[in-house]
This record gives sequence, structure tokens and C-alpha cells, in this order.
Amino acid sequence: MLRPKNNDRKKVARFRFTRLFLLSFLFVALFLALLSSTAGSRFGVFHQMTLEALGPVQTVFTRISINTIRLKDKYITLWNLQEEIDQLRHELDIYHAKLDEYREAYSRNRFLEAELAFKKNETFPALMARVVGKDPSFWFKTLIVDRGENDGVVTGMVARNSRGVVGQVVQVSDNYSKILLANAPSSAIDAIVQKSRVRGILKGADRQGYILQYVLKNADVQEGDVIVTAGIGGVFPQGITLGTVSKVRSKRRGMFLEIEVQPAVDFGRLEFLFINLSEEQLVIDGLNRTSSAAGE
Amino acid sequence: MVVLSFFLLGFILIAIQTTFFHYFPHWLGRPDLSFILLVFSGYKFGWLPGLLLAFLLGWLMDVTSGVFPGTYLLLVLTVFSIVKFLSQNSSVRENVFQIPLVGVSYFSVQCFFYLFFSITQPGTLPPWSWSKIVQETLILLVASIPCFVFFNWMYEKITTRRLASRRLKRSGGNRFR
Repeated sequence: MLRPKNNDRKKVARFRFTRLFLLSFLFVALFLALLSSTAGSRFGVFHQMTLEALGPVQTVFTRISINTIRLKDKYITLWNLQEEIDQLRHELDIYHAKLDEYREAYSRNRFLEAELAFKKNETFPALMARVVGKDPSFWFKTLIVDRGENDGVVTGMVARNSRGVVGQVVQVSDNYSKILLANAPSSAIDAIVQKSRVRGILKGADRQGYILQYVLKNADVQEGDVIVTAGIGGVFPQGITLGTVSKVRSKRRGMFLEIEVQPAVDFGRLEFLFINLSEEQLVIDGLNRTSSAAGE
Repeated sequence: MVVLSFFLLGFILIAIQTTFFHYFPHWLGRPDLSFILLVFSGYKFGWLPGLLLAFLLGWLMDVTSGVFPGTYLLLVLTVFSIVKFLSQNSSVRENVFQIPLVGVSYFSVQCFFYLFFSITQPGTLPPWSWSKIVQETLILLVASIPCFVFFNWMYEKITTRRLASRRLKRSGGNRFR
């Protein structure tokens, strides 16, 4: 039993020796080869081979590193961008608000310029009035303006703006007046179709605008025709724009046309208007007062 | 003091109605806050102070609205009297009925108003519109809930302060004499 064990030990020792010898030989050969390759400061074959082997690995690692750095940079940039975006959004909001302000100021300026030009060109003594209140009830169409008797306003005076007729003063106090809008159902204005000179009565029709009444069916009235004041009765001077014909209907029954008129004035957005302070109305008012006093 | 405070409140409400509310979109309507105050006064105020307040409110409405002075005055006094009568002599005085009564009375007033003008001044008002009236009534109903809460709070504040000051005045003398 002992003999085979000794034999095995001998075999193992011999194998170890051989392996050690081979390794030493390889190491010495490698060392000598490298040494001979380096001799004379040459970048020899082994160097080149090593570099060729190392190169791709380096490339991979470099790429990985670069990509990681890029990713990190991107992440940080994104992070910073998010902050920048938030800040820019905030700035944009501010600029939008400013733009709205400028737009409003611009449109207001244009509106006031138009009104000023209107005031300069008009022949009547115009008193500018600001709308301070509107009728709380939906049944009536009145406005309150910041001009009254102290400014020379009397009942019956006509209110206009650059677009056309706004209404008529119905009640006056010292510093304020109430104006009945021209589109109120109780309002009626003598009007003519500018093109064909056909005459009618323009009645207020609330949201519909106006309705031109008492125009015969054979009259020449078409959509788009401009309606102006007729100047009869002395309240409104002739030729002030009232609106444009928006619909003409001719029913089988009756002798008159049904004519809808789109008001020239935007009654929903009135801010300023002009009151005609001409003497005519003062005279009419004076006459009315005299006649009522005589009646009493 | 109560009438004066509520008159001032009515003054502010009408100023708001005639200015601020006109910038609201059409679908939001323009609730008649002074009308809500009128119905509230019908519930809470006595006959004399209530009539005084109603008179002042009607006066304000006449100034700011319409072209026939006196119409609102008449209307407001009538509404107050009816609400006051109902709130004293029927089950309508319960809190549950307060808000519906605002709607019912507002709707009735519009009908009466239109009828009145159709007879006395035909052609003065725009054509009757069911949708418009119903819409305004519904908006008023919604608006009357916070309004009633606020009016109630204000009324309680003023009356309790007045009662407290009265008690103080009464107990001002020497109680041990």
C-alpha cells in the first residue's frame, strides 16, 4: 500500500519541477526579448503589439468615460436648463403681461386719437364725457356720464362719438347726466338710407340693434346700405351715421319692409362720448320750459 | 343706525351693479343685489325702518336706472310690503323659504314690471324673453345665498353691538343704591 503512494509523490515533484523550469524559461525569454526590443530606445514589435492590444481596450474605456461624462454633463445641463426654463417662463409671463398693457395702451391711444380727430373736425361744440355707470336693470338702456348742468348740459342734448349717434340726454343733475341709448326700445330717430335717400324711423331693438320702420316694400334698400340721420325735427343734424343694414325682409302681408340695422356704435364698449352743446338744444329746452310754465 | 348701515350697503351694492358687474360676461349675468337686500329687509326689519330702507333703495334705483322716475320707488315699496306681510303671517318666515322667496318674488316683479310698462308705456321695453328672465332669476338665486349670509352677519353684528351698548348704559348707575 505504501509503494504506490511514494511513486505518486515522485511524479508530482517531477511535474512541479518541469512546470517551474518552463515558466522560468518563458520569463527569461520574455525578459530578454523585451530587453532586446527596448534596446536603443526603440519602440519594438512587442511594444507595438502591446499597444495594439491595449488600444481597443483604451478606446472602449475612453468612450465609456466620455459618454459617462457627457451623460453627467447633459444631466447637469438639463437640471440647469429646467431652472432656466422656469426663469424664462416667468420672464415670458411678465413680458406677456407687459405686452397686454402696451396693446391696451396702444388701442386706447388709437381710440383717443380717433375721438380727438373727430372732436377737431366736428363743427358742433363737443363736450367730452366719461361713462361712469350703466343701467343695472336689463329692461332699460341708459348710461350715466360725468357731465351735468354745470358743464352746460341740458335734457335733450345729443350724445355722439366718432362712430355715430350714441343717444340723448334724458336726465341731468349738477355734475352728472343720464343718457338714453339710441338702441333702447323707447328711442326713435328719423333716418334715411344714404344711398337711395329712402326715409324711415329707426327704432331701438335692444340686442338686435335697430329696426328701420315704415319703409315701403318698393323702396330700394339692400344689405350693407348705410343709414344716417335725416335731420328732421332739429334734434339730430343731418348725415350722422347710425348703422348699416344687416337684413332686409319682405313679408307677404303688410306694406312695409322689415329692416334690421347693425349699429355703428358699439354700445357695449362705450367709455367716452361727446355731448353736442350747440345752442339749438338750449333754445328748444328754453321753449319747452316757457310753454310748460305758461301751461301751469 | 341699522337702517343707515344697510342704506350705505345698498348704496355700495348699486354702485357695484352699475359699474363692476358690466364687465362680467353675459352668461354670468348681473344679479340684482339691491333686490336681495330688499327681500332681506322684508324678513328682518320692522315695518317702519324697513319701509324707510326700501324707500331709499327705490330712490337709488330710480336715479341709476330707467327713464321714468318713481317707477322703482313704487315697485320696491310694494315688494317690501308683500314680503313683510308674507314673512309675518305665513310659514314663509322660516329660514328654508328665504332663498326661494327671493327667486319667486324677483320673477313675479319682472312679470309685473313688464306688464305695467306694456300697458302704460307700450314699446318702451325690449320684448319679453323667458330664457333671459329665467337665467337672471337663477343667477339671483345663486347670488342670494352668500348675500343672505353676509347680510345676516352684518345685521347680527350691528344689533348685538347696539344691545350691548344699551345694557352698558342701563347698568351705568349705582346698582347698590
